[in-house]
Amino acid sequence: MYYDLHMHSCLSPCAEDEMTPNNICQMAILKGLEVIAVTDHNSTKQLASISEVAKSLGLYFIYGCELETIEEVHILGLFDSIEKTNNLQNWIDEHMPNIPNQVDYFGKQEIRNTKDEVIGIEDRLLIVSLDVSVEECVKAIHHFGGKAILAHVLDRKNSITHQLGFIPNDLPYDGLEIKTLEQKQTVLEKHPWIQEDSTVWFIDSDAHRLIDISEKENQLENQLFKDWWGIGV
Amino acid sequence: MKLHELFNELNWDNLTPDVSLDKDVEGVYCGDLLSWVMGNGLPNQVWITVQGHMNIIAVAGLREFSCIVIADNASIEDTVLQKATEEGIPVFASHLPVFESAKLLIEKGV
Repeated sequence: MYYDLHMHSCLSPCAEDEMTPNNICQMAILKGLEVIAVTDHNSTKQLASISEVAKSLGLYFIYGCELETIEEVHILGLFDSIEKTNNLQNWIDEHMPNIPNQVDYFGKQEIRNTKDEVIGIEDRLLIVSLDVSVEECVKAIHHFGGKAILAHVLDRKNSITHQLGFIPNDLPYDGLEIKTLEQKQTVLEKHPWIQEDSTVWFIDSDAHRLIDISEKENQLENQLFKDWWGIGV
Repeated sequence: MKLHELFNELNWDNLTPDVSLDKDVEGVYCGDLLSWVMGNGLPNQVWITVQGHMNIIAVAGLREFSCIVIADNASIEDTVLQKATEEGIPVFASHLPVFESAKLLIEKGV
């Protein structure tokens, strides 16, 4: 099962305008992906229209969000329904500082409908830290019925190892995201308490442009995905 | 300089009163990015940070810091302080920002 579980729509200020619901889903299908998640920064407001487009095209869609903790660590929350992400959104609204977006500096934060038309603008800057710790964030994702993946764990920016030195041994995450298979060895060498086989590893694109969405190259065995996600694709 | 001599002169809250302050102090390190602190801190330094995550205890132990100073009224959870007490790492709270906290330590002869 070919996947890409980390990409940004045009709602994220740092993503290109071309990352519209239809463009994302069409490109994912063109590339041969079977399941995608869209994970905008600290917002779930683009998920309703993208999920509708994905469904109409027969693409399995996971409702995602890339949350930023007070330590500036990025964590993906993945959910199987819009209701769950609506609850998550209420929680985000409680914990996100109200800083106005400066479009010239950060970029546009547009919400688009199933026809890719702009139907809303998020005025609050999304690339900020919520006032919650890594532990509280993982707990909240679980509370709302989602899976928590530590994003790009070896990145030099906004990764758990960069911000916090290492991955805590008692953090109950559900998966680790790496950029390459070689990175898995680095993670294992640095963290003797992480078991290769009992950890679910993901290689995602973190695409901000259409061209960067993953090719048909990263896959999870169907049964492994079903065991992990709880639903088969 | 000994840690207890230094902190007797400062009006900073001792958040781990059960931990011994019989430690040497040789300089100060300021930083919040733990991967950076892990790579650059030196033994017996006073470490000033606003980072309150549990991992600061492991980093302080690894670098053999003399103590941790949480600056700028940053928050720290009780579980972190319990761990610090278990590990014998003193934690203080300075209500000043990082720069002013460091200046005060310089004034006291660190």
